[in-house]
Amino acid sequence: MSKRAVDMTFQAIYTLTDLRILLRETAPSHEFDANQKAQVQRLLENLERQVGSLKQEILK
Amino acid sequence: MRCGNGIEARQVNELFINIDPIQAGGRLTADAMKTVIAYGDGYSVCDNCRKPNRLDYITKPPIAEFHRDVAKWLNMDAVRTVPGARRGFQAVAQTYVNKGDPVLLTSLSHYTEFLAVEEAGGVAREIPASDQKLVTPDAAAAKIEAVKKEFGRVPVLAFIDQVDYQYGNLHDVAGIAKIAHQYDIPVICNGAYTVGILPVDGKALGIDFVVGSGHKSMAAPAPSGILAATAEREREVFRTTAIVGDVTNRKFGIKEPEMMGCTLMGATLVGMMASFPHVKERTKHFDRELENNRIVMEALLSIEGTACLSEYPRKHTMTRVDTTGSFDKVAESHKKRGYYLQSALEEKGITGVIPGATKVWKFNTYGTTRKQAEHLAKSFTEIARENGLAVSS
Repeated sequence: MSKRAVDMTFQAIYTLTDLRILLRETAPSHEFDANQKAQVQRLLENLERQVGSLKQEILK
Repeated sequence: MRCGNGIEARQVNELFINIDPIQAGGRLTADAMKTVIAYGDGYSVCDNCRKPNRLDYITKPPIAEFHRDVAKWLNMDAVRTVPGARRGFQAVAQTYVNKGDPVLLTSLSHYTEFLAVEEAGGVAREIPASDQKLVTPDAAAAKIEAVKKEFGRVPVLAFIDQVDYQYGNLHDVAGIAKIAHQYDIPVICNGAYTVGILPVDGKALGIDFVVGSGHKSMAAPAPSGILAATAEREREVFRTTAIVGDVTNRKFGIKEPEMMGCTLMGATLVGMMASFPHVKERTKHFDRELENNRIVMEALLSIEGTACLSEYPRKHTMTRVDTTGSFDKVAESHKKRGYYLQSALEEKGITGVIPGATKVWKFNTYGTTRKQAEHLAKSFTEIARENGLAVSS
C-alpha cells in the first residue's frame, strides 16, 4: 500500500462527503438546480478518477 | 443500513428537513465531517504534543491558534474548549461558589446551570421573567436586592442565558451585566444558542464569561463547547495546579484543575476547529436565517388558532408555538391522535417535532435553505387544510 493509495482513499471519502452535504441541502426532494447538477457531475467524475487511481495503486 | 454492531447509519439530515430545536446549529459542515473521519482515533490530536504538554498549546493541528482565534472572535481574552457548555458552567461555579452561597439564575435558565450550582453547594435564586418571557435588568436588580435581604450578602455569581432554551427569546445581557457589576457580581453568559449562530461580542455585553456549545451551535460533534473569559477572570478560573504528591513529590506543571488537565480532544475538537471558519462567516448572515424563520412563522400563524409563544417578530430561529387551537383540535378526533402531525410532517420529508406534540412545541429553522423554508411553510398549511383547519391567505 502506498501513500498515494492512502491519499486516494481519503480523497474518495471526502468527495462522497461533499455529495452527502449536497443531499442535506436539497432534502427531502433532492431536486438539483442547474448549479447543483453541475456540482454533482463534477463530484462523481472526481470520484471515478479517485477510485480508478486507487485500483491502479492497490491492484498493481 | 448499519454502521456496525447493530448501529443504524443515521440519515436523518439527508432524508429530511430537520427542525429539531436543539439540533439545527450543530449539524456538521463538510470540513468537520472530513476532519472527524481523519481524527476519529482516541488520542489523535496528541501526535505532536510537546512541552509544556497541554492540549491548548499544540500547534499541529493548530489547536493553540484556534484558541486565540475564538477568543478574538468573541472579543474575550482567553478561551478553553470544554466537553459541552455544561462543563463551562461547572468550571465557573466550582471557582466562585461555596457551600450556602446564593447564586443568581433566571426562571428561563437551562437545568445544567442549576446542576453546576448544586454541585458547588450553592443556593439557586431565580430572576423571574416578565409576562413577555423576557429577563430584564430591573428584575435582576430587584432580585439582587431580595437576595441581599435574605442572605445578608449579594449573589456570588450570576448566570444569564443570552437566548433561552424555552422560548428562544433574546435577553438584555448587557443591561443585566451592568446591574450585576454594580454589586461586584461576576456574570457568566450562556451563549449555547448564540455563539456560532449570531454575532457575540463579550466586551460589548460586559460579561466576565461566555459559554458556547459546539454541538448545539458551532457545527461540531458532541460533546463540545467553549468557555471564554476576560483577562481578570482568566487568572481565577484557568488557574494552574499547585498540588504536590507527598510520596513522589510530583507536580503537574501548567495543568488547570478546572479543566481537569487537558481540555477537549480528538474528533470533537478538530470537528469544531474545522467548522470554525464557516461558523464565523455564517454569524454574519443571521438575517437570512431570520428571514427563513419568518416564512415558516407566517405560514404557521396563517393557520387559525395558532399562536407564537416566543417574542414576535422573532430575533432567533428557535421558536415556541401554541397549536392547542389548531393542530391539537384535529388530534382529538384523528385516528392517530396526537401522532398524526409528526406522521404527516414525515410524509412531507420533515422531522424534528416531538412525536405526539400538538399543543405546545418548539422548532428551529436554522440552517435551512430558502427552498427548504418554503417547503416547511407549504407543508404546515397543507397539513392544516387537509385536516379541515382554516388557513388565511
